[in-house]
Amino acid sequence: MAAIVGATLKPARIDGRRQRSERTRQTIVEAYLALLRDNPQIPTAAQIAERAGYSIRSVFERFPDLLALRIAATDHAFAIGNAQAVPHDIDGDRPTRLRSQVETRAHTCEQWLPLWRALNANQGESSELKVRIRLARELIMKRLELMYRPELSTLSELERRRILIALEALTDFESWARMRELYGLSFERACALWIRIIDRLLPPTPAVS
Amino acid sequence: MADNSTVESTAAPERKPGKADGRRLRSERTRRLIVEAYMALVRENRQMPTAVQIAERAGYSVRSIFERFPDLDALRLAATDYAIAEGRAQGGLRDLDADRATRVKSQVETRGQGCERWLPLWRVLSANLSESSEELRERIRLVRQLVTMRLEFMFKPELSTLSEGERRKTLLALEAITDYESWGRMRELHGLSFEQACAVWISAIDGLLPPTPASS
Repeated sequence: MAAIVGATLKPARIDGRRQRSERTRQTIVEAYLALLRDNPQIPTAAQIAERAGYSIRSVFERFPDLLALRIAATDHAFAIGNAQAVPHDIDGDRPTRLRSQVETRAHTCEQWLPLWRALNANQGESSELKVRIRLARELIMKRLELMYRPELSTLSELERRRILIALEALTDFESWARMRELYGLSFERACALWIRIIDRLLPPTPAVS
Repeated sequence: MADNSTVESTAAPERKPGKADGRRLRSERTRRLIVEAYMALVRENRQMPTAVQIAERAGYSVRSIFERFPDLDALRLAATDYAIAEGRAQGGLRDLDADRATRVKSQVETRGQGCERWLPLWRVLSANLSESSEELRERIRLVRQLVTMRLEFMFKPELSTLSEGERRKTLLALEAITDYESWGRMRELHGLSFEQACAVWISAIDGLLPPTPASS
């Protein structure tokens, strides 16, 4: 009986401990991301610990070093970013798809630019970060491909690739940042610019779609 | 400034200006060699070099570096000024009066070569920009302005057909598409050759520009 009780209690205890540990990890990651949003400099362990409400030791019990924490934060951000950027209006008409794609991308840029900058500025030290940056770019390309499938389907493979590369460059994080920070455009005006330019770059929509 | 040097040269004995000039020239040469060492290291390692590395490469002591530059930020700034001057000299406007296809090709090839040469320095400059001095941020803005001005010159016939608002939008888009990092991704991420990357830009610019007016 004792064995049975022990057997039923132990997993619950372990689960509770695991959940608490997971929650702490999550809080540390969120503290890291919040600090990056407040200040584009890479936060120190002391700052992260203070923001999360834990000791520095707690931070390093969950992450062997700050690079591991940065990678975990990147994965967390990508998961949220992907969930937020689920493609809408794939079957809409051209103006609807343009607006949908641009607004979704713009929201992503607004929210994740500080992390993106921190990642790019420090990618040299980690192949894991490089892989994630590459993956993020591939996802952006795939999304463009999905949203503008009718138009892109009218092109040769070479032309399609060229336009996708140009669209990706145009709608890059730093392109968004320049519109907002350097040229002082509002969110709406910056979106309008992207919509106008993408519309010009894309070939005519085929009659069937 | 020019007036002062004239007064000095007439008042002082003959040898002094020569000595002073020689010292100034040597100091200027040392400064240039340090800047060149900095840029060579950036190109090779693609990251900010340390004072020790720069000194070793330039063949001077670390002290010599800090005698000429108060800190590494000042050296980074000097390297940027040097790069801007060299970039302007290399990227002189050509084919301004040529037909559209020639101008697009000329612009793209010049910009492509500029990106090939200056991308490593650009990355080091623009990394952690928020932590950089206002002077450095100003230089980055200047480089972007120069890029935009060049686009404006090269595609004046086409841009002249647009309203002010449309011209601005087109220039912003052209600048974004032909950004250093856009070039870097074509070459590094997509594995395009120089010619293939130029072809992508040529196609995009041609697609973005309005029709060339008949008169030009």
